[in-house]
Amino acid sequence: MAVISANIANADTILDSSGNLNPYKKRILNFAPGDPSSADPVGRQFGVHVSEIGKDENAIRLKYEPGSKYADENGYVPYPDINPQLEQINAMSAARAYEANVVAAETTKTMMAQVLRLIG
Amino acid sequence: MGIIDQLNSAGAMPVLEKMIRFAGARHTLITHNIANLETPNFQPLDVDPASFQAKLAEAVDDRRNVNGGVSGGLEFASTREVEVLSGGRLVLNPRTSSGNILMHDRNNRDLERTMQALVENASMFRVATDLLRSRTTMLRNAMSERVA
Repeated sequence: MAVISANIANADTILDSSGNLNPYKKRILNFAPGDPSSADPVGRQFGVHVSEIGKDENAIRLKYEPGSKYADENGYVPYPDINPQLEQINAMSAARAYEANVVAAETTKTMMAQVLRLIG
Repeated sequence: MGIIDQLNSAGAMPVLEKMIRFAGARHTLITHNIANLETPNFQPLDVDPASFQAKLAEAVDDRRNVNGGVSGGLEFASTREVEVLSGGRLVLNPRTSSGNILMHDRNNRDLERTMQALVENASMFRVATDLLRSRTTMLRNAMSERVA
């Protein structure tokens, strides 16, 4: 969700933090199964982790703005090629997955409480 | 067999213990599937609870034929999906499901079925723990010479 928010927030960002013309590159997040941070070998097989947060170097669209001081010799300014609608759909999908994981965590907690009640 | 072993293997307790172990192990698989709903190329893993229950029913029948089923250990044979280790621990060898629609990221998730499996499995776990708790409460009452 943080990556999607950053993509939406920077949909029109054409300068970098130094003020140079360097359009924001769309970030792409990839997941992979397993949890490498787990101390337990069995635990490492299950769960999920972020394998990489990549940049889409080709996600640039040229906008015709001949009056801009950042325009090239043909009058085009490079902007990030970020589709807000697509990012919204990704955000909805991420929110749905988040909710499902919350339900799974709640169920796990309930099951653990049931086992603890056996000895209580 | 000592008295503690006899108490632990009385009535339905070994069956309930197997149910709890199976549901607990399957819960790990289902939550793993939920955690990977957005993972490209991921294929959900699961075991068939119906085949486990059929094997459990066979083991219960065998126990009944030996001593009427009132006491004694449950001889649960390992299957391709459910392996029984020493100490009664169950290890699941899951299979990937192939019946779902393959998404554009080559993940064949089915959120509704996964959540249904989560709830059904948790219900099975709850029934088994509730029944086991009533058995242990009965034992505790008997030991303390109380009437429930």
